[in-house]
Amino acid sequence: MTSRRDLLAALVALAATPALAAAPDALAGLDPAAVDRIGKAWRDRNPKVTARQLNARLFPVGRGSDALARLRAHAAADFRQGAVFVHRGWRLSETEGALFALLSLEGWP
Amino acid sequence: MTIIDARALPDASPIEADLLIIGGGMAGIALAKELAGGPLKVAILESGGLEIDADNQALYAGSGVQRAPGNPDRLFDDYPIQSRVRALGGSGMVWGGKCAPLDPADFAERPWIPHSGWPVTRAQMQPYYDRACDLLEIPRFPLDRPRPGEPERQPLALDPADGFFPAPREFSRFSGGNDKAAFDAFRTQFAEAANVTVYLYANVTRIRREGSEIVGLDVACLDGKRHTARAARYVLAVGGIENVRLLLASDGLGNRDDLVGRFFQGHVTYSNDGDDQNEGTAIAITRAAPMDLYAPGKGGVAHCVIGAGLPAQRRMKTGNFTATLFRVKPSEPATPVSADTETIGKAAARLAGQNDGKMLGYFAMAEHFPNPDSRVTLDPDHKDALGMPRVRLSWTYGDKDYADLERSVTGLADALGASGEGRLCWSLERNQLLAISRASRHHMGTTRMHADPRQGVVDPDLRLHEARNLYVAGSSVFPTSGIANPTLTLLALTIRLADHLKSEPLKSEIGR
Repeated sequence: MTSRRDLLAALVALAATPALAAAPDALAGLDPAAVDRIGKAWRDRNPKVTARQLNARLFPVGRGSDALARLRAHAAADFRQGAVFVHRGWRLSETEGALFALLSLEGWP
Repeated sequence: MTIIDARALPDASPIEADLLIIGGGMAGIALAKELAGGPLKVAILESGGLEIDADNQALYAGSGVQRAPGNPDRLFDDYPIQSRVRALGGSGMVWGGKCAPLDPADFAERPWIPHSGWPVTRAQMQPYYDRACDLLEIPRFPLDRPRPGEPERQPLALDPADGFFPAPREFSRFSGGNDKAAFDAFRTQFAEAANVTVYLYANVTRIRREGSEIVGLDVACLDGKRHTARAARYVLAVGGIENVRLLLASDGLGNRDDLVGRFFQGHVTYSNDGDDQNEGTAIAITRAAPMDLYAPGKGGVAHCVIGAGLPAQRRMKTGNFTATLFRVKPSEPATPVSADTETIGKAAARLAGQNDGKMLGYFAMAEHFPNPDSRVTLDPDHKDALGMPRVRLSWTYGDKDYADLERSVTGLADALGASGEGRLCWSLERNQLLAISRASRHHMGTTRMHADPRQGVVDPDLRLHEARNLYVAGSSVFPTSGIANPTLTLLALTIRLADHLKSEPLKSEIGR
């Protein structure tokens, strides 16, 4: 299972821009309760999914420096294919929903 | 300055001119300005005075209802009286001055939209749009839209294949809502021309026809005076509802094919605030750069909206659609909904490689499709103080209107997401769209322009198919309504009409 610390480190490592790379925590400022709510909302629609499955789906080749670009590309492809997740009216990619779900399962932060 | 109060004329005065313009609104004034100083003797017959007054406004009173499938009917009885102005300057007295040309797509015949297509193209309209911009003293709108160069006014980097583009809007000072003094000069100084006369408080109650020729007008004042007016040619320019009223009240003039009053199209905006379950209409922009191009710091200044161009419409099989962005403040106190919104925006920005984005509100607009069941009719049982039957407006949407709106919203959301430029929130259910929509004062389509008399009330020169010496000016001639505020387009069409009128031989037109 991916640890919370691993995931945070991965997201920091994923930084594609200097601004993000310089940030001590790529998820700084995100409301933990909100992350959990959004993640749970996605999991309500996908009740059988596990953290392991999500990790494999979101980071199939690990968390190297190109992982953020891959997530971004997956999110873009989701929008192109209509693979979306609507939360409180917001139209998000399935990839984003899965990412929030993984964070929720891990009890982020 | 020749501005005459028709109430001060002796009863039964004959008013004569080469060209009589019925209505002193934006179209009528623009036409008179174009003809000022020329050889034609021009007269404007305006129902109101120099300022808005209740007695004249009351002549507009009628009834109205908005209808849409799956939505409760919405009574709109106050709309006919509140959406127009009877005074010299017309509804320009309360206009906000916003100007935009229709898009090339609006002029195109789009097979997926019944009754679409204009008998003139956007490119053919360009010189008239340029002159209309000059008249209103605003920058011209090039046919090929340039990209603004300032960093804070960079357009969103949406995939061109998605077909959304930044559609510019400008603001003219010549509107009662922007600069009353400037507008007062705009609406009166043209009457200083030796060949132009303006008659105030002169209500045309009937257009008289013999065969295919108009032979005169009945003119009534609220104080009881009755006059007649006669010219070689006439231009009807009293607005998208009143044009219909006067034609139908004149023994159904122009209505041989039951088209007058049909195809009424209006513009509405769609937006909502969040509640305890959902966020309202909002867009989370992921980029850090300013968004002044779309959401400038103050209202009433040039900006762009996100528009769906012809490629987007063709791809989505929709009509025109725009999202107008504006700045918002986060709601206080924080709620689970607002916290989720903030988190979604931040996470999207991080995914796009930014530390933070920005949250904007927006309102959506979608083209109201031409619909023969959306119409203005007369109510013979109710008449105004001059004996004119009042109007009934049935503003009607079909299934396609709302389905296309939703598909367009989804299409924009996906384009924003796919480009990484943002995320879009839309929480409105279809059965609440009519109730939450906000109507603008744009009345279009009721005397539509078409080369085929069985499909249009006026021909491409804006001449009534049934009468060779009566023309119609204003947004009632629009075959489709697009999204843009109609004033600039109706002015461009009026300037085009002026050129046509000037080009006709003088002697042969005089029917007196």
